[in-house]
Amino acid sequence: MRKINAIAQKELLALFCSPIAYVILFLSTVIFNVFFFMIIDQNREAQLKDVFTVVEFMLVFFVPIFTMKIFSEERASGTLEFLLTAPVKDIEIVLGKFLGLSIFLTCVLAPTLIYYFILSRFSDFDRLAALWGYCGLWLEGYLFIAIGIFLSSLCRSQIVAAMSSYMVLFLLYFTLSFKTYTQGMWSSVIGYAAVMTHTENFFTGIFLLSDLVYFVSGILFFLLLTKLVLKFR
Amino acid sequence: MIELKNVCKQFGSVEVLSQIALEIQTGEIVGFLGHNGAGKTTLMRIMTTYLPATSGQVFIDGKNAATASLAIRAKIGYLPEKPPLYPNMTVNEYLTLAGRLHNVRPRDLKGAIASVCAECWLTDVQNSPIAILSKGYQQRVGIAQAIIHNPAILILDEPTSGLDPLQVVQVRALIKRCQSQRTVIVSTHILSEIEHLATRVVIIKQGTIAADASVEEVIRTQQSNTLEEAFLKLNRGRSPISC
Ligand SMILES: Nc1ncnc2c1ncn2[C@@H]1O[C@H](COP(=O)(O)OP(=O)(O)OP(=O)(O)O)[C@@H](O)[C@H]1O
Ligand SMILES: [Mg+2]
Repeated sequence: MRKINAIAQKELLALFCSPIAYVILFLSTVIFNVFFFMIIDQNREAQLKDVFTVVEFMLVFFVPIFTMKIFSEERASGTLEFLLTAPVKDIEIVLGKFLGLSIFLTCVLAPTLIYYFILSRFSDFDRLAALWGYCGLWLEGYLFIAIGIFLSSLCRSQIVAAMSSYMVLFLLYFTLSFKTYTQGMWSSVIGYAAVMTHTENFFTGIFLLSDLVYFVSGILFFLLLTKLVLKFR
Repeated sequence: MIELKNVCKQFGSVEVLSQIALEIQTGEIVGFLGHNGAGKTTLMRIMTTYLPATSGQVFIDGKNAATASLAIRAKIGYLPEKPPLYPNMTVNEYLTLAGRLHNVRPRDLKGAIASVCAECWLTDVQNSPIAILSKGYQQRVGIAQAIIHNPAILILDEPTSGLDPLQVVQVRALIKRCQSQRTVIVSTHILSEIEHLATRVVIIKQGTIAADASVEEVIRTQQSNTLEEAFLKLNRGRSPISC
Protein backbone atom coordinates (compact mmCIF):
# COMPACT_ATOMS: atom_id res chain seq x y z
CA MET A 1 0.00 0.00 0.00
CA ARG A 2 2.92 2.30 0.76
CA LYS A 3 4.18 2.08 -2.79
CA ILE A 4 0.71 2.58 -4.24
CA ASN A 5 0.44 5.73 -2.15
CA ALA A 6 3.87 6.92 -3.23
CA ILE A 7 2.93 6.57 -6.90
CA ALA A 8 -0.49 8.18 -6.37
CA GLN A 9 1.18 11.15 -4.66
CA LYS A 10 3.64 11.48 -7.52
CA GLU A 11 0.79 11.56 -10.04
CA LEU A 12 -1.11 14.19 -8.08
CA LEU A 13 2.02 16.28 -7.78
CA ALA A 14 2.58 16.02 -11.52
CA LEU A 15 -1.02 17.03 -12.21
CA PHE A 16 -1.02 20.00 -9.88
CA CYS A 17 2.37 21.16 -11.19
CA SER A 18 0.84 21.61 -14.63
CA PRO A 19 -1.71 24.24 -15.60
CA ILE A 20 -3.98 21.54 -17.07
CA ALA A 21 -5.29 20.56 -13.64
CA TYR A 22 -6.32 24.12 -12.83
CA VAL A 23 -7.87 24.65 -16.26
CA ILE A 24 -9.97 21.49 -15.86
CA LEU A 25 -10.99 22.41 -12.31
CA PHE A 26 -11.93 25.94 -13.36
CA LEU A 27 -13.78 24.99 -16.54
CA SER A 28 -15.66 22.11 -14.97
CA THR A 29 -16.82 24.21 -12.04
CA VAL A 30 -18.00 27.01 -14.32
CA ILE A 31 -19.75 24.72 -16.79
CA PHE A 32 -21.40 22.59 -14.10
CA ASN A 33 -22.65 25.63 -12.22
CA VAL A 34 -24.05 27.33 -15.31
CA PHE A 35 -25.92 24.19 -16.31
CA PHE A 36 -27.17 23.58 -12.79
CA PHE A 37 -28.82 26.98 -12.62
CA MET A 38 -30.13 26.78 -16.18
CA ILE A 39 -31.62 23.34 -15.67
CA ILE A 40 -33.20 24.13 -12.33
CA ASP A 41 -34.54 27.41 -13.73
CA GLN A 42 -36.10 25.72 -16.78
CA ASN A 43 -37.37 22.52 -15.17
CA ARG A 44 -38.59 24.14 -11.97
CA GLU A 45 -38.18 20.70 -10.49
CA ALA A 46 -36.07 19.64 -7.52
CA GLN A 47 -34.07 16.79 -9.02
CA LEU A 48 -30.51 16.37 -10.25
CA LYS A 49 -30.97 13.85 -13.05
CA ASP A 50 -30.48 16.34 -15.87
CA VAL A 51 -27.53 17.92 -14.14
CA PHE A 52 -25.92 14.51 -13.85
CA THR A 53 -26.45 13.96 -17.58
CA VAL A 54 -24.52 17.14 -18.35
CA VAL A 55 -21.72 16.26 -15.93
CA GLU A 56 -21.55 12.79 -17.46
CA PHE A 57 -21.17 14.25 -20.93
CA MET A 58 -18.44 16.63 -19.78
CA LEU A 59 -16.52 13.73 -18.22
CA VAL A 60 -16.15 12.25 -21.69
CA PHE A 61 -14.27 15.44 -22.61
CA PHE A 62 -12.28 15.97 -19.44
CA VAL A 63 -11.05 12.51 -18.49
CA PRO A 64 -8.79 11.85 -21.53
CA ILE A 65 -7.05 15.17 -20.89
CA PHE A 66 -5.68 14.00 -17.59
CA THR A 67 -5.26 10.32 -18.40
CA MET A 68 -3.48 10.72 -21.73
CA LYS A 69 0.04 11.11 -20.40
CA ILE A 70 -0.19 8.79 -17.44
CA PHE A 71 1.86 6.02 -19.09
CA SER A 72 2.72 7.39 -22.52
CA GLU A 73 4.84 10.16 -21.04
CA GLU A 74 6.71 7.68 -18.83
CA ARG A 75 7.32 5.48 -21.84
CA ALA A 76 8.55 8.35 -24.00
CA SER A 77 10.81 9.92 -21.37
CA GLY A 78 12.29 6.65 -20.11
CA THR A 79 10.96 6.96 -16.56
CA LEU A 80 8.99 3.76 -17.05
CA GLU A 81 12.36 2.05 -16.72
CA PHE A 82 12.71 3.67 -13.29
CA LEU A 83 9.35 2.30 -12.14
CA LEU A 84 9.77 -1.13 -13.67
CA THR A 85 13.25 -1.73 -12.26
CA ALA A 86 12.18 -0.78 -8.73
CA PRO A 87 10.90 -3.59 -6.50
CA VAL A 88 7.30 -2.65 -7.21
CA LYS A 89 4.67 -5.02 -8.57
CA ASP A 90 3.15 -4.04 -11.91
CA ILE A 91 -0.29 -4.02 -10.33
CA GLU A 92 0.95 -1.58 -7.66
CA ILE A 93 2.07 0.81 -10.39
CA VAL A 94 -1.31 0.56 -12.11
CA LEU A 95 -3.26 0.97 -8.86
CA GLY A 96 -1.07 3.88 -7.76
CA LYS A 97 -1.79 5.73 -10.96
CA PHE A 98 -5.47 4.87 -10.78
CA LEU A 99 -5.66 6.09 -7.20
CA GLY A 100 -3.92 9.37 -8.05
CA LEU A 101 -6.24 10.12 -10.95
CA SER A 102 -9.31 9.03 -8.97
CA ILE A 103 -8.42 11.55 -6.28
CA PHE A 104 -8.13 14.21 -8.94
CA LEU A 105 -11.51 13.21 -10.38
CA THR A 106 -12.94 13.58 -6.89
CA CYS A 107 -11.58 17.14 -6.82
CA VAL A 108 -13.40 17.79 -10.11
CA LEU A 109 -16.71 16.26 -9.01
CA ALA A 110 -16.76 17.23 -5.34
CA PRO A 111 -17.91 20.85 -5.97
CA THR A 112 -21.10 19.46 -7.55
CA LEU A 113 -22.10 18.10 -4.12
CA ILE A 114 -23.13 21.64 -3.29
CA TYR A 115 -26.16 21.15 -5.57
CA TYR A 116 -27.34 18.42 -3.27
CA PHE A 117 -27.16 20.75 -0.29
CA ILE A 118 -28.81 23.62 -2.16
CA LEU A 119 -31.75 21.43 -3.17
CA SER A 120 -32.02 19.87 0.31
CA ARG A 121 -32.10 23.32 1.83
CA PHE A 122 -34.80 24.79 -0.41
CA SER A 123 -36.94 21.83 -1.36
CA ASP A 124 -38.12 18.45 -0.36
CA PHE A 125 -36.43 16.27 -2.91
CA ASP A 126 -35.50 12.61 -3.21
CA ARG A 127 -32.16 12.65 -1.44
CA LEU A 128 -31.49 8.94 -1.74
CA ALA A 129 -31.96 9.05 -5.51
CA ALA A 130 -29.59 12.00 -5.75
CA LEU A 131 -26.93 10.27 -3.67
CA TRP A 132 -27.26 7.15 -5.79
CA GLY A 133 -26.87 9.36 -8.85
CA TYR A 134 -23.63 10.74 -7.44
CA CYS A 135 -22.39 7.16 -6.95
CA GLY A 136 -23.12 6.49 -10.61
CA LEU A 137 -21.25 9.61 -11.66
CA TRP A 138 -18.20 8.69 -9.65
CA LEU A 139 -18.22 5.08 -10.87
CA GLU A 140 -18.53 6.27 -14.45
CA GLY A 141 -15.57 8.61 -13.95
CA TYR A 142 -13.50 5.76 -12.51
CA LEU A 143 -14.39 3.56 -15.48
CA PHE A 144 -13.35 6.31 -17.90
CA ILE A 145 -10.08 6.71 -16.00
CA ALA A 146 -9.39 2.96 -16.15
CA ILE A 147 -9.99 3.02 -19.91
CA GLY A 148 -7.77 6.11 -20.30
CA ILE A 149 -4.97 4.50 -18.31
CA PHE A 150 -5.16 1.35 -20.41
CA LEU A 151 -5.01 3.24 -23.71
CA SER A 152 -2.18 5.44 -22.45
CA SER A 153 -0.19 2.33 -21.55
CA LEU A 154 -0.39 1.23 -25.17
CA CYS A 155 0.96 4.46 -26.67
CA ARG A 156 4.16 6.36 -26.67
CA SER A 157 2.47 9.51 -27.86
CA GLN A 158 0.13 11.47 -25.62
CA ILE A 159 -1.87 12.71 -28.59
CA VAL A 160 -2.51 9.19 -29.85
CA ALA A 161 -3.49 8.16 -26.31
CA ALA A 162 -5.92 11.07 -26.04
CA MET A 163 -7.42 10.48 -29.48
CA SER A 164 -7.97 6.79 -28.87
CA SER A 165 -9.50 7.54 -25.44
CA TYR A 166 -11.91 10.00 -27.05
CA MET A 167 -12.87 7.42 -29.64
CA VAL A 168 -13.56 4.70 -27.08
CA LEU A 169 -15.38 6.98 -24.65
CA PHE A 170 -17.58 8.51 -27.34
CA LEU A 171 -18.36 5.06 -28.64
CA LEU A 172 -19.27 3.92 -25.15
CA TYR A 173 -21.36 7.03 -24.65
CA PHE A 174 -23.25 6.96 -27.92
CA THR A 175 -23.60 3.18 -28.30
CA LEU A 176 -27.15 3.36 -27.06
CA SER A 177 -28.16 5.26 -30.21
CA PHE A 178 -27.22 2.22 -32.31
CA LYS A 179 -29.52 -0.02 -30.33
CA THR A 180 -32.54 0.94 -32.41
CA TYR A 181 -30.85 -0.39 -35.55
CA THR A 182 -30.23 -3.84 -34.12
CA GLN A 183 -32.38 -6.73 -33.02
CA GLY A 184 -32.25 -9.78 -30.82
CA MET A 185 -28.99 -10.66 -29.16
CA TRP A 186 -27.10 -7.69 -30.61
CA SER A 187 -29.66 -5.32 -29.25
CA SER A 188 -29.22 -6.64 -25.73
CA VAL A 189 -25.42 -6.76 -26.02
CA ILE A 190 -25.33 -3.12 -27.14
CA GLY A 191 -27.84 -2.24 -24.48
CA TYR A 192 -25.66 -3.73 -21.76
CA ALA A 193 -22.39 -2.36 -23.15
CA ALA A 194 -23.65 1.21 -23.39
CA VAL A 195 -22.66 3.24 -20.39
CA MET A 196 -25.85 5.31 -20.55
CA THR A 197 -28.07 2.30 -19.93
CA HIS A 198 -26.51 2.01 -16.49
CA THR A 199 -26.02 5.65 -15.60
CA GLU A 200 -29.66 6.26 -16.49
CA ASN A 201 -30.67 3.88 -13.71
CA PHE A 202 -28.27 5.46 -11.25
CA PHE A 203 -29.42 8.98 -12.08
CA THR A 204 -33.09 8.15 -11.65
CA GLY A 205 -32.38 6.41 -8.37
CA ILE A 206 -33.03 2.87 -9.56
CA PHE A 207 -30.84 0.36 -7.76
CA LEU A 208 -29.82 -2.59 -9.94
CA LEU A 209 -26.99 -4.93 -9.07
CA SER A 210 -26.20 -5.40 -12.77
CA ASP A 211 -25.32 -1.69 -13.04
CA LEU A 212 -22.90 -1.93 -10.16
CA VAL A 213 -21.38 -5.08 -11.64
CA TYR A 214 -21.01 -3.32 -15.01
CA PHE A 215 -18.88 -0.51 -13.57
CA VAL A 216 -16.84 -2.50 -11.07
CA SER A 217 -16.04 -5.27 -13.52
CA GLY A 218 -15.26 -2.72 -16.24
CA ILE A 219 -12.80 -0.90 -13.99
CA LEU A 220 -11.11 -4.15 -12.92
CA PHE A 221 -11.00 -5.40 -16.50
CA PHE A 222 -9.15 -2.35 -17.83
CA LEU A 223 -6.77 -2.15 -14.87
CA LEU A 224 -5.84 -5.81 -15.30
CA LEU A 225 -5.40 -5.29 -19.04
CA THR A 226 -3.01 -2.43 -18.24
CA LYS A 227 -1.06 -4.74 -15.94
CA LEU A 228 -0.77 -7.20 -18.83
CA VAL A 229 0.49 -4.46 -21.13
CA LEU A 230 3.22 -3.63 -18.59
CA LYS A 231 4.16 -7.28 -18.32
CA PHE A 232 4.56 -7.67 -22.08
CA ARG A 233 6.05 -4.22 -22.60
CA MET B 1 26.97 -12.87 -7.43
CA ILE B 2 25.63 -12.48 -10.95
CA GLU B 3 25.49 -15.43 -13.26
CA LEU B 4 24.40 -15.35 -16.89
CA LYS B 5 23.98 -18.62 -18.73
CA ASN B 6 23.78 -18.53 -22.53
CA VAL B 7 21.66 -15.42 -22.57
CA CYS B 8 20.21 -14.51 -25.97
CA LYS B 9 18.03 -11.56 -26.80
CA GLN B 10 16.07 -11.01 -29.95
CA PHE B 11 13.99 -8.04 -30.96
CA GLY B 12 11.68 -9.47 -33.58
CA SER B 13 13.95 -11.47 -35.81
CA VAL B 14 17.06 -9.44 -35.00
CA GLU B 15 19.41 -11.10 -32.56
CA VAL B 16 20.98 -8.41 -30.40
CA LEU B 17 22.72 -10.63 -27.85
CA SER B 18 23.80 -14.18 -28.47
CA GLN B 19 25.08 -16.80 -26.06
CA ILE B 20 26.27 -14.42 -23.36
CA ALA B 21 27.84 -16.32 -20.46
CA LEU B 22 29.23 -14.30 -17.55
CA GLU B 23 29.93 -14.72 -13.86
CA ILE B 24 30.51 -11.67 -11.75
CA GLN B 25 31.56 -11.95 -8.09
CA THR B 26 30.87 -9.58 -5.23
CA GLY B 27 33.47 -6.84 -4.98
CA GLU B 28 34.24 -6.74 -8.67
CA ILE B 29 33.96 -3.58 -10.75
CA VAL B 30 33.20 -4.73 -14.25
CA GLY B 31 33.40 -2.36 -17.18
CA PHE B 32 31.29 -3.04 -20.26
CA LEU B 33 32.87 -1.73 -23.43
CA GLY B 34 31.53 -1.94 -26.94
CA HIS B 35 30.71 -0.02 -30.07
CA ASN B 36 27.38 1.80 -30.41
CA GLY B 37 24.64 -0.77 -30.72
CA ALA B 38 26.82 -3.59 -29.39
CA GLY B 39 24.21 -4.55 -26.83
CA LYS B 40 25.57 -3.13 -23.54
CA THR B 41 22.35 -1.40 -22.56
CA THR B 42 20.29 -4.42 -23.55
CA LEU B 43 22.47 -6.69 -21.42
CA MET B 44 22.14 -4.35 -18.45
CA ARG B 45 18.38 -4.21 -18.90
CA ILE B 46 18.25 -7.98 -18.83
CA MET B 47 20.25 -8.01 -15.59
CA THR B 48 17.84 -5.56 -13.98
CA THR B 49 14.89 -7.73 -15.13
CA TYR B 50 13.53 -4.79 -17.15
CA LEU B 51 13.78 -6.95 -20.25
CA PRO B 52 13.37 -10.71 -20.27
CA ALA B 53 16.01 -12.77 -22.05
CA THR B 54 14.71 -14.55 -25.13
CA SER B 55 16.57 -17.66 -24.01
CA GLY B 56 19.14 -18.52 -21.37
CA GLN B 57 19.04 -17.76 -17.66
CA VAL B 58 20.05 -14.97 -15.34
CA PHE B 59 20.76 -15.67 -11.67
CA ILE B 60 21.41 -12.96 -9.11
CA ASP B 61 22.54 -14.23 -5.73
CA GLY B 62 21.14 -17.60 -6.74
CA LYS B 63 17.72 -16.21 -7.62
CA ASN B 64 16.35 -16.70 -11.10
CA ALA B 65 15.46 -13.42 -12.82
CA ALA B 66 12.54 -15.03 -14.60
CA THR B 67 10.82 -16.12 -11.41
CA ALA B 68 12.06 -13.84 -8.61
CA SER B 69 12.30 -10.51 -10.33
CA LEU B 70 10.99 -8.51 -7.38
CA ALA B 71 13.58 -9.89 -4.97
CA ILE B 72 16.29 -9.20 -7.52
CA ARG B 73 15.18 -5.64 -8.19
CA ALA B 74 15.36 -4.94 -4.47
CA LYS B 75 19.08 -5.75 -4.54
CA ILE B 76 19.91 -3.66 -7.60
CA GLY B 77 20.55 0.03 -8.03
CA TYR B 78 20.28 1.04 -11.67
CA LEU B 79 21.10 4.16 -13.57
CA PRO B 80 19.66 3.86 -17.09
CA GLU B 81 21.42 5.38 -20.06
CA LYS B 82 19.08 8.36 -19.96
CA PRO B 83 18.56 9.39 -16.33
CA PRO B 84 14.91 8.62 -15.54
CA LEU B 85 13.84 11.90 -13.98
CA TYR B 86 10.53 13.65 -13.39
CA PRO B 87 11.27 17.27 -14.32
CA ASN B 88 8.48 18.81 -12.27
CA MET B 89 9.68 17.25 -9.02
CA THR B 90 12.34 18.72 -6.79
CA VAL B 91 15.44 16.64 -6.10
CA ASN B 92 14.14 15.92 -2.60
CA GLU B 93 10.71 14.83 -3.80
CA TYR B 94 12.24 12.60 -6.43
CA LEU B 95 14.66 10.94 -4.05
CA THR B 96 11.84 10.45 -1.54
CA LEU B 97 9.87 8.64 -4.24
CA ALA B 98 12.90 6.54 -5.21
CA GLY B 99 13.49 5.63 -1.55
CA ARG B 100 9.89 4.70 -0.92
CA LEU B 101 9.74 2.53 -4.02
CA HIS B 102 13.00 0.84 -3.03
CA ASN B 103 11.83 -0.19 0.43
CA VAL B 104 13.81 2.39 2.43
CA ARG B 105 12.08 2.56 5.82
CA PRO B 106 10.25 5.83 6.46
CA ARG B 107 12.37 6.69 9.48
CA ASP B 108 15.61 6.10 7.54
CA LEU B 109 14.50 8.04 4.47
CA LYS B 110 15.63 11.52 5.56
CA GLY B 111 19.08 10.25 6.52
CA ALA B 112 19.41 8.27 3.29
CA ILE B 113 18.52 11.32 1.19
CA ALA B 114 20.94 13.54 3.08
CA SER B 115 23.74 11.05 2.69
CA VAL B 116 23.26 10.43 -1.06
CA CYS B 117 22.93 14.15 -1.66
CA ALA B 118 26.20 14.73 0.13
CA GLU B 119 27.79 11.85 -1.76
CA CYS B 120 26.61 13.14 -5.16
CA TRP B 121 27.15 16.83 -4.37
CA LEU B 122 23.50 17.70 -4.57
CA THR B 123 22.97 19.29 -1.18
CA ASP B 124 22.75 22.82 -2.55
CA VAL B 125 20.09 21.95 -5.14
CA GLN B 126 17.96 19.64 -2.99
CA ASN B 127 14.94 21.92 -3.23
CA SER B 128 15.30 22.89 -6.87
CA PRO B 129 13.00 21.42 -9.51
CA ILE B 130 14.89 18.86 -11.59
CA ALA B 131 13.81 20.65 -14.79
CA ILE B 132 16.06 23.63 -14.11
CA LEU B 133 19.19 21.62 -13.26
CA SER B 134 22.04 21.37 -15.75
CA LYS B 135 22.67 18.06 -17.52
CA GLY B 136 25.51 17.14 -15.20
CA TYR B 137 23.44 17.80 -12.10
CA GLN B 138 20.60 15.74 -13.56
CA GLN B 139 23.03 12.91 -14.15
CA ARG B 140 24.07 13.11 -10.51
CA VAL B 141 20.43 12.95 -9.41
CA GLY B 142 20.21 9.79 -11.53
CA ILE B 143 23.20 8.32 -9.69
CA ALA B 144 21.74 9.36 -6.34
CA GLN B 145 18.47 7.48 -6.98
CA ALA B 146 20.47 4.39 -7.90
CA ILE B 147 22.30 4.28 -4.56
CA ILE B 148 19.61 5.56 -2.20
CA HIS B 149 18.70 2.09 -0.94
CA ASN B 150 22.30 1.01 -0.54
CA PRO B 151 22.04 -1.76 -3.14
CA ALA B 152 24.25 -4.82 -3.21
CA ILE B 153 24.60 -4.54 -6.97
CA LEU B 154 25.06 -1.29 -8.81
CA ILE B 155 24.47 -1.13 -12.54
CA LEU B 156 25.42 2.17 -14.16
CA ASP B 157 24.87 2.79 -17.86
CA GLU B 158 27.31 5.52 -18.92
CA PRO B 159 27.31 7.24 -15.53
CA THR B 160 29.82 9.93 -16.39
CA SER B 161 28.27 11.17 -19.61
CA GLY B 162 27.71 14.90 -19.36
CA LEU B 163 29.79 15.39 -16.21
CA ASP B 164 32.60 17.90 -15.87
CA PRO B 165 36.12 16.51 -15.29
CA LEU B 166 35.94 17.26 -11.59
CA GLN B 167 32.69 15.35 -11.30
CA VAL B 168 34.04 12.48 -13.36
CA VAL B 169 36.78 12.09 -10.78
CA GLN B 170 34.22 12.34 -7.98
CA VAL B 171 31.97 9.70 -9.52
CA ARG B 172 34.92 7.41 -10.04
CA ALA B 173 35.83 7.81 -6.38
CA LEU B 174 32.21 7.11 -5.47
CA ILE B 175 32.18 3.92 -7.50
CA LYS B 176 35.50 2.84 -5.94
CA ARG B 177 34.06 3.44 -2.48
CA CYS B 178 31.09 1.27 -3.38
CA GLN B 179 33.30 -1.59 -4.42
CA SER B 180 34.11 -3.15 -1.07
CA GLN B 181 30.65 -4.47 -0.26
CA ARG B 182 29.11 -4.35 -3.69
CA THR B 183 29.27 -5.54 -7.23
CA VAL B 184 29.48 -2.68 -9.69
CA ILE B 185 28.86 -2.88 -13.42
CA VAL B 186 29.60 0.19 -15.49
CA SER B 187 29.26 0.76 -19.20
CA THR B 188 31.14 3.57 -20.82
CA HIS B 189 32.77 4.78 -23.98
CA ILE B 190 35.58 6.45 -22.05
CA LEU B 191 38.37 3.92 -22.09
CA SER B 192 40.52 5.75 -19.56
CA GLU B 193 37.65 5.43 -17.13
CA ILE B 194 37.75 1.67 -17.39
CA GLU B 195 41.52 1.73 -16.95
CA HIS B 196 41.14 3.78 -13.76
CA LEU B 197 38.26 1.91 -12.37
CA ALA B 198 37.52 -1.59 -13.50
CA THR B 199 38.96 -4.75 -12.05
CA ARG B 200 37.68 -6.52 -15.12
CA VAL B 201 36.63 -5.49 -18.59
CA VAL B 202 34.05 -7.17 -20.80
CA ILE B 203 34.18 -6.12 -24.42
CA ILE B 204 30.98 -6.73 -26.33
CA LYS B 205 31.01 -6.87 -30.08
CA GLN B 206 27.82 -7.27 -32.04
CA GLY B 207 26.09 -9.00 -29.19
CA THR B 208 28.81 -11.43 -28.27
CA ILE B 209 31.59 -11.24 -25.70
CA ALA B 210 34.80 -10.51 -27.57
CA ALA B 211 37.01 -10.26 -24.48
CA ASP B 212 36.56 -10.81 -20.76
CA ALA B 213 39.63 -10.28 -18.59
CA SER B 214 41.53 -7.68 -16.60
CA VAL B 215 42.60 -4.54 -18.45
CA GLU B 216 46.25 -5.64 -18.53
CA GLU B 217 45.35 -9.04 -19.86
CA VAL B 218 43.18 -7.64 -22.63
CA ILE B 219 46.01 -5.33 -23.69
CA ARG B 220 48.48 -8.23 -23.57
CA THR B 221 46.38 -10.73 -25.51
CA GLN B 222 45.72 -8.16 -28.23
CA GLN B 223 49.43 -7.37 -28.37
CA SER B 224 48.70 -3.70 -27.88
CA ASN B 225 50.11 -0.89 -25.81
CA THR B 226 46.90 0.69 -24.65
CA LEU B 227 43.32 -0.37 -24.03
CA GLU B 228 42.26 1.89 -26.87
CA GLU B 229 44.47 0.05 -29.31
CA ALA B 230 43.23 -3.30 -28.06
CA PHE B 231 39.62 -2.13 -28.36
CA LEU B 232 40.15 -0.96 -31.92
CA LYS B 233 41.86 -4.23 -32.83
CA LEU B 234 39.00 -6.24 -31.39
CA ASN B 235 36.51 -4.18 -33.37
CA ARG B 236 38.51 -4.31 -36.58
CA GLY B 237 36.29 -4.65 -39.63
CA ARG B 238 33.46 -2.90 -37.85
CA SER B 239 34.61 0.66 -38.11
CA PRO B 240 36.21 2.66 -40.92
CA ILE B 241 39.28 3.20 -38.74
CA SER B 242 41.97 0.62 -39.35
CA CYS B 243 44.78 0.06 -36.95
N1 LIG C 1 13.38 -2.13 -27.83
C1 LIG C 1 14.13 -2.42 -28.90
N2 LIG C 1 13.56 -2.85 -30.05
C2 LIG C 1 14.30 -3.16 -31.12
N3 LIG C 1 15.63 -3.08 -31.17
C3 LIG C 1 16.27 -2.67 -30.07
C4 LIG C 1 15.55 -2.31 -28.87
N4 LIG C 1 16.45 -1.93 -27.93
C5 LIG C 1 17.65 -2.04 -28.51
N5 LIG C 1 17.56 -2.47 -29.78
C6 LIG C 1 18.67 -2.74 -30.71
O1 LIG C 1 19.60 -3.53 -30.03
C7 LIG C 1 20.92 -3.20 -30.40
C8 LIG C 1 21.73 -2.98 -29.16
O2 LIG C 1 21.29 -1.81 -28.52
P1 LIG C 1 21.90 -1.30 -27.15
O3 LIG C 1 21.15 -0.10 -26.77
O4 LIG C 1 21.94 -2.42 -26.21
O5 LIG C 1 23.37 -0.90 -27.58
P2 LIG C 1 24.52 -0.22 -26.73
O6 LIG C 1 25.68 -1.12 -26.74
O7 LIG C 1 24.00 0.20 -25.40
O8 LIG C 1 24.81 1.07 -27.62
P3 LIG C 1 25.28 2.55 -27.18
O9 LIG C 1 26.73 2.47 -26.97
O10 LIG C 1 24.96 3.36 -28.37
O11 LIG C 1 24.52 2.92 -25.98
C9 LIG C 1 20.82 -1.98 -31.29
O12 LIG C 1 20.97 -2.40 -32.61
C10 LIG C 1 19.42 -1.48 -31.07
O13 LIG C 1 18.90 -0.88 -32.22
MG1 LIG D 1 23.75 1.94 -24.46
